[in-house]
Amino acid sequence: MTKELEHSFVSQLEQNQNIVHKICRLYTNDSDEHNDLFQEITIQLWRAYPKFRGDSKFSTWMYRVALNTAITLYRKSKRKVQTQDFEGVSFKISSEEYDSTIEDQLKLMYDAVKTLGDIDKALVFLYLENKNYKEISSTLGITEVNARVKMNRIKEKLRTVLNP
Amino acid sequence: MDQLEALKKEWQSREQEFPKLSYNDIYPMLLKKSSSIVKWIVIISLCEILFWTLLSLLIPESSNEFYEELGLKSVLKWVNIFNYAVVAFFIYLFYRNYKKIQVTNSIKILMENILRTRRAVHYFVYYNIGMAAALLAGTNLYYYSNQDKLIDLLKSQDIYGAIPAETVVNKFFIYNLIAGVMIIGFLMLFYFLLYGLLLRRLKRNYKELKKIEV
Repeated sequence: MTKELEHSFVSQLEQNQNIVHKICRLYTNDSDEHNDLFQEITIQLWRAYPKFRGDSKFSTWMYRVALNTAITLYRKSKRKVQTQDFEGVSFKISSEEYDSTIEDQLKLMYDAVKTLGDIDKALVFLYLENKNYKEISSTLGITEVNARVKMNRIKEKLRTVLNP
Repeated sequence: MDQLEALKKEWQSREQEFPKLSYNDIYPMLLKKSSSIVKWIVIISLCEILFWTLLSLLIPESSNEFYEELGLKSVLKWVNIFNYAVVAFFIYLFYRNYKKIQVTNSIKILMENILRTRRAVHYFVYYNIGMAAALLAGTNLYYYSNQDKLIDLLKSQDIYGAIPAETVVNKFFIYNLIAGVMIIGFLMLFYFLLYGLLLRRLKRNYKELKKIEV
């Protein structure tokens, strides 16, 4: 039974691992921390898995557990003052169809998102993941109206950061 | 917000950039131990409950005799019984709150439950510090109003040698006061440093979430 559970869990996580990687990138500053957080999220997901009933999609359930771990449960093992991106996190576009101005702009945008607070980051992350406000609000535990208001404020904040 | 929309489009199309962990990479992670904040809070909380409970058990026999001579024994017995009832109540409260911590709750509820679990232990420590201060003040007041008995007792213990009784009594109160204030101050400092660091980020984020709701 445990073996079956382990197998189905690891397979599903393997398929959906990008969600966890994306959260790790937003909330950590180097590859060590990234791996550390990935590990902790995996443990938390696995612990909560027996109660996952499948009434929601595995990925939807994952967002909540992974964000909770990144924002609340995770303790950084070492302190970093700088918020420097590590190689690979930098937002580069490999495809040639984009000119470098767009590439630079996106990099700036990504960097701006990384300067936001933990809660704002979670909102932006879910927004970027194309989640609707209903899902965003229930993941954070706030009302839908407030989620919208907050998102508008964050957009405003990002605009100020990008166009000082 | 054009740039954010552009980032959103890119965001969804660049999944291939991430490291691809295989089944065999992920599997060993299940066996590793968590180092989450909840684990630390539970460890520290249990240590605190244990520390304060043991402290009340560790009062040396000689000081019990001292209290007995001064006629404080029965009062202190009741204080002890009350103390155990309070300890039991706090352990129950702590356990009940701890059980509510679920990583599948919304971010806000999870934070609330963690803070509530901590708060139970906070109150427990406040209670102990308060109790220690009250006991210190109470016994000293009692000594003060029963100075004759105290002088006799201190003389019989022969630790102060030939120093006049009045000086001994004065010193006794001053030492008691200094020691008491120092111990309580040290405990509070230690306590605020420990939790200040551990829960700073959580509290900040919780405030942020609460602010959205206003």
